[in-house]
Amino acid sequence: MTAIPYAEALDRYRAATAIFPMRPDDATIAELIAAHHPDSTGGKAIPLKIGVNAGMLCQPQVAALLQTNALIDDVDIAGAEILNTDILVIGGGGAGAAAALTAAGIGARVILATKLLLGDSNTVMAEGGIQAAVGDDDSPQRHFEDTYKAGHRAADKDLVAQLALDGPDVIRWLIKLGMSFDVVGHRPFGGTLKRKTPGGATAPRILSYRDFTGLEMMRVLREAVGLHRGIQVMDRVPAVELLSDERGGCAGAVVYSLEHHRFVLVRARRTILATGGSGRLHLNGFPTSNHYGATADGLVLAYRMGAQLREMDSFQYHPTGIAHPAHLAGGLVSEAARSEGAKLVNGQGERFIDELKPRDVVASAILRELREGRGIARDGQVGVFLDVPGLVAEKPGILDTTLISLAHLAKKCHIDPTLDPLLVTPTLHYQNGGVAIDKHGQSSVPGLFCVGEISGGIHGRNRMMGNALLDIISFGRRAGAHAAESRAEPYSSRAGIGHIHDWQRQLTLADLPLAARGPHVFPDYGNFDLVADAGIARRAAE
Amino acid sequence: MSDNNVSLVIDGRAVTAPPTASIIQAFSASGGALVSNVGCMGQGVCGSCRCMVRREGSRDVTMELGCETPVEAGMQVAFVSYFQPKRPHVYDLEALTDSWQILDAMDETFPQAKSCRHCGGCDRACPRGLDVQKGVEYAVLGDVQAAREVFTECIMCNLCTLACPERIRPNHLGLFIRRALAALTLRPQELMRRLRQIESGALTVDTSTVDDGRN
Repeated sequence: MTAIPYAEALDRYRAATAIFPMRPDDATIAELIAAHHPDSTGGKAIPLKIGVNAGMLCQPQVAALLQTNALIDDVDIAGAEILNTDILVIGGGGAGAAAALTAAGIGARVILATKLLLGDSNTVMAEGGIQAAVGDDDSPQRHFEDTYKAGHRAADKDLVAQLALDGPDVIRWLIKLGMSFDVVGHRPFGGTLKRKTPGGATAPRILSYRDFTGLEMMRVLREAVGLHRGIQVMDRVPAVELLSDERGGCAGAVVYSLEHHRFVLVRARRTILATGGSGRLHLNGFPTSNHYGATADGLVLAYRMGAQLREMDSFQYHPTGIAHPAHLAGGLVSEAARSEGAKLVNGQGERFIDELKPRDVVASAILRELREGRGIARDGQVGVFLDVPGLVAEKPGILDTTLISLAHLAKKCHIDPTLDPLLVTPTLHYQNGGVAIDKHGQSSVPGLFCVGEISGGIHGRNRMMGNALLDIISFGRRAGAHAAESRAEPYSSRAGIGHIHDWQRQLTLADLPLAARGPHVFPDYGNFDLVADAGIARRAAE
Repeated sequence: MSDNNVSLVIDGRAVTAPPTASIIQAFSASGGALVSNVGCMGQGVCGSCRCMVRREGSRDVTMELGCETPVEAGMQVAFVSYFQPKRPHVYDLEALTDSWQILDAMDETFPQAKSCRHCGGCDRACPRGLDVQKGVEYAVLGDVQAAREVFTECIMCNLCTLACPERIRPNHLGLFIRRALAALTLRPQELMRRLRQIESGALTVDTSTVDDGRN
């Protein structure tokens, strides 16, 4: 891949006196995406061989992970400690916290188990904001239509409608918990919320707190969960398998204590998976903006138990990941920058796309520039310019008041954001599809709920900025409330890992290797081996 | 590349890495099992990779975030695993409905704040460089808006809580004030209007307005 040297491109960028010209282009959106989006240019999607979605197209690395053998066998959990609870929430991000708080608020006993620490999640990293149709020039109807269209009409309409209609109440719920939002003119009571326009929207709809909305949200949720007497938080206990009952429903999960090196069975009336997405699988060799824990653990376990999936061939590559310096590659430059007006400029000093198009369109356009030699190369890293200096010239002081995280990031890149543009390139950001759910976050497996990025059907084949933070709270609360209704029911009579025996038969029949085990729990570079860590004895053949 | 590599010690492990690597990246690349003290991997917002750092030739130990700090030759690094002790400061935000009571509620929940001995331990511990001690002082004086500002960019890494000899838990105090102010005073007018429209049933979503055909 040829590219224009950084020094040359920078000279051209600096010499430009006025607005950068838009490079003429007559390709349609559909053509652009088909030719340049990593979903089509990366590893070709393959049909799943086994499970309830056998035959459905799936990203090949994800397919390989979904079709792995269980990490544990019956013998590994014999004699393990058993905990009982009404609701087991797996995952310590925003969706898990919202579900736990809601269920506990109704009176259910909740265990929240998380792989790292409560709050370590993609939620805390979200910068741009949260969508909610509150403006007088806006409506839930518009929010619904924008979201559905941005997702290429692949979403479940009822889920999208519910998301849009829940928006304003989600904001009120967050404010009641003590979350702040930016208001115009610093007038909290009776003031007006500051609103930004996300790519693909017909009205300004993004509410935010500076450019660290997710941090503000998560620290409030984390504190609320920690203070709630009805919630027991278990840190550093990844889920390694689900527990099944006598009818194929979910009866809890097997978690592994990283601290004590032993398995614990958590038996629950309802289980809510809020384990997030899969960015740390680095699909198609891309860097990722995702949190360290995003290894699709819940997705693998849910599919193994029989949960229907959807759109597993569709992933979001955020247009503006850091390209240079290399050690920060994949880190995110929030869409807030483009939303505020920052432009993208190629090595020839041209703009090449309307920066506020949906993310898949903008990402494809950047990849086209790189592929056709108009990218910019610096120390072996290739990208295009994000014109932050131009934005600062237009809106002086914006880095101090609104784009605080961006200023912090520029400092880490050793550039002066008032003078030098950032070098950016698409980064793996979001799993568009996932476990199919209904309005309550209920999956096709009885007793098993999935909320947040693990779920599918809300964002179709492309997610808009700000709809993830809304989705996790909207559906997290819905699942928590619905699951809590079960609190007076008796436990199922059985809770074991019998379902993996059927799964192993399917693997064998499909000629898939039993030695490949999943989920991964940590990325490859985490150097974690459950077999060694837990002292599991394996047959010599493995 | 290898010529520039630096050697350092992370959690007792001898590590060699290029100087552009962060502490977390260097640890992982050296084969260390990375199963805790890690989170956002470079954004510096989750606070999980807090560590004590001593640089070669320096007697001082500084508190830093391992995902944001580049390695240096001769550096000694120890991650600070933090398990929350039993929470001494328990409050129920929903029960705080009278904004006149906000200072009383703060005193009741965080009685130690008044005993700040101004040792500056919290300031030195903060990897974000916040004026933590000043924030506590503002809170005690009742200048809640100023206190709120001080903790705006707090990532809740709990290092100030670990450092405080009076057990004030400054970051939790700051968050209490921030939460109370939002919960008691943030009432955006267009949000209130929109909620009334939705809850009265006047505003719904019609899913038949867009066709299902894939574009």
